[in-house]
Amino acid sequence: MTLTAEVTTPPATPAPPPGTARKRRQAAETRAGYAFLAPWLLGFFLLTAGPMLASLYLAFTNYNLFAPPEFTGLENFRLLFKDPSYLKAWQVTGTYVLFGTPIKLIAALAVAMLLNNRRRGKGFYRSSFYMPSLVGASVSIAIVWKAMFIDNGIVDQIGQFFGAPAGGWVGDPNRTMPMLILLTVWQFGAPMVIFLAGLKQIPNELYEAASVDGAGPVRKFRNITLPMLSPVIFFNLLLETIHAFQIFASAFIISNGTGGPARSTLFYTLYLYQRGFQDFRMGYAAAMAWVLVVVIGLITVLFFRSSKFWVHYSGEGK
Amino acid sequence: MKRSLWKITAVAAVAALSLTACASGSGDDDAPSTDPTAPVTINFTWWGNDDRAARYQEALDLFKEQYPYITVQTSFAAFPDYWTQRSTEAAGRKLPDVMQFDLSYLREFNQNGQLLDLAKYVDDGSIDLSGYDETLTESGVLDGKTIGIPTSTNTFAMFQNPAVISATGAEFPDDADYTWEDYNDFIAQASSAGVKTADGYQLYGAVDYTGTFWFFIQWLLQKGVTPFEDDGTFGFDEDDVVEFLDLTADLRADKAVYPIDRGTSLLPKGGFTVNESATEMSWDNFLAAYVADSGTQDIALAQIPSVEPGEKHLFFKPSMLLSAGANTEHPEAAATLINFLLTDPEVGRIFGTSKGVPADEEQRAAVETEEGSVDARVIAYEEAVTEQVTESTPIPVKGFGTIEAKWKTLGEELAYGTITPEDFASQWFSEAEIATS
Repeated sequence: MTLTAEVTTPPATPAPPPGTARKRRQAAETRAGYAFLAPWLLGFFLLTAGPMLASLYLAFTNYNLFAPPEFTGLENFRLLFKDPSYLKAWQVTGTYVLFGTPIKLIAALAVAMLLNNRRRGKGFYRSSFYMPSLVGASVSIAIVWKAMFIDNGIVDQIGQFFGAPAGGWVGDPNRTMPMLILLTVWQFGAPMVIFLAGLKQIPNELYEAASVDGAGPVRKFRNITLPMLSPVIFFNLLLETIHAFQIFASAFIISNGTGGPARSTLFYTLYLYQRGFQDFRMGYAAAMAWVLVVVIGLITVLFFRSSKFWVHYSGEGK
Repeated sequence: MKRSLWKITAVAAVAALSLTACASGSGDDDAPSTDPTAPVTINFTWWGNDDRAARYQEALDLFKEQYPYITVQTSFAAFPDYWTQRSTEAAGRKLPDVMQFDLSYLREFNQNGQLLDLAKYVDDGSIDLSGYDETLTESGVLDGKTIGIPTSTNTFAMFQNPAVISATGAEFPDDADYTWEDYNDFIAQASSAGVKTADGYQLYGAVDYTGTFWFFIQWLLQKGVTPFEDDGTFGFDEDDVVEFLDLTADLRADKAVYPIDRGTSLLPKGGFTVNESATEMSWDNFLAAYVADSGTQDIALAQIPSVEPGEKHLFFKPSMLLSAGANTEHPEAAATLINFLLTDPEVGRIFGTSKGVPADEEQRAAVETEEGSVDARVIAYEEAVTEQVTESTPIPVKGFGTIEAKWKTLGEELAYGTITPEDFASQWFSEAEIATS
């Protein structure tokens, strides 16, 4: 809305009086700016906003791709909360978000702090710790992961050596979730790099002053690093939480698209995909998508509301 | 300076637009012509593995020789992805000209007239079904329209791995008149022997067969229940489901069926194809795949068990139907290809029994049945059980694909012990209600 309003503003200004060439040039530049934006804007409206509106409509219909959509009001939403698999999908996704995200962030922060101090070869270490994030999103790594955790795979063999029960993680519903959480924790590179940037910005004088006052490393971490880093932590936490809700590819590959064994990897988006493209219930799937959008929106609002209690911006006093 | 800026912008915008436009441009510009041999291009797609693709390619090379004016563009996918692709195409009314089809999805795609009525071409002889059994062609007729014609037939068989059976020391009952209880006893005996493979994996009698929806249908037929009525309602209730699942309750409790966690991690193979399970029930055309996957040449086909001794109530399931999209611009060419694939004897020879026993008489005769070969065993089996095939094929209800898949998922959970047979029945029915409505 605001975008279109701004677009119409420049032509509405009266013709500039002669001599104000500067203003004219600015207007021309604005136009050029929007012209450059045009492909993106077109893409946004045609490929994102349009389909989103269509899916909002479909959420209130019974649509199986073959016959035209039939308006059913809130029926899809009513069915959702009676569907045991749907509730299971929330449970699985919730567990993943609740455990995966904090563990991943803690790992990212820990590694970032280690790398922050390192002097020699830090470029090499940073790249190698960031690498899993680059390859981790790909399909191939999920396949590798599956091969590692399968019955008699390398993880199983090492586990048996230390007395863990035999049998792969992939086929055991109690161990698929830890396996997927490990996979996401391993991809801590992106939040780590952001943490690292945040750590670099903390003025060294603060630590020096604290040392003079006799503060130990724990005290420094709690009273300097954490508060100074809190905007970055907030950013990472928000991003990673939203990201975790959308997990799809690794679960799809590891369970062959079934969400199995015993629905233990039936993540929200995976179930949505099954409903839409395997059961041909597009209206139902669209309703699921919109519930997810609303829930993620609410969680984001909650985060922002809570941020004023624990996030400190150093510029605030000025 | 300013002008060149605008130029660059315009070029960039045009480039971006034309890139997106590429997707919607269609290449087919053959105008409809009265000349029957004017060159046309049609699409053909199927599900299956590389082996099937190679056979189709061989068949289509022959087709090209006989009908040089028809160019066939092919594609194939695995079964689940195949239906995702077809349903998306159906939504845009862009189904392929010719495609392999399955009975389970026929009703859904028939809605809104997605599939071409082939009756016209059957009547005028372009598709020659004289070598077909009439009851078989009826399976592809819905609402008076011929929307699919089966390539072949399948029926259930009990596959046995003789080496594994003898290793466990269990004795397989006489397959002519054994019951489900007798089969359970065999499974228990084989599994409890506790024999292990060289890799340390225990041998079992079989997987828990109650996890497959089609076996439930077969069991219902043996009990004299018609699974699906013509109006799409079910002829069974939750109690029937629980009774069927309870057939193997003791085996599950004693951990005498092939362990589900090992089975899951073996996917897409299974206990039977890694030679750790002695027997497995399945469609008889699976023999070729079983032999290839397990490396065991002497897998034998026996009859499945029954409720009353000797009364098998088998049925022939029409399989690998061929259908044409109603949106095709070249229905004659599509019909020509369908006829060729269904009735040409050479095609029958190329495919053997890998798609099931060919439905067409001449194709069946053309299958090379070298003594003891996979094809010979499958054909011999179907001939041996002909008298037991007393049921007509249950008409799959709309949403069959979904409820079949749901049965499998719930079966897994039952095997893991996370739900009871009663939970299974109630969850399955609530799912089935929505899927079939």
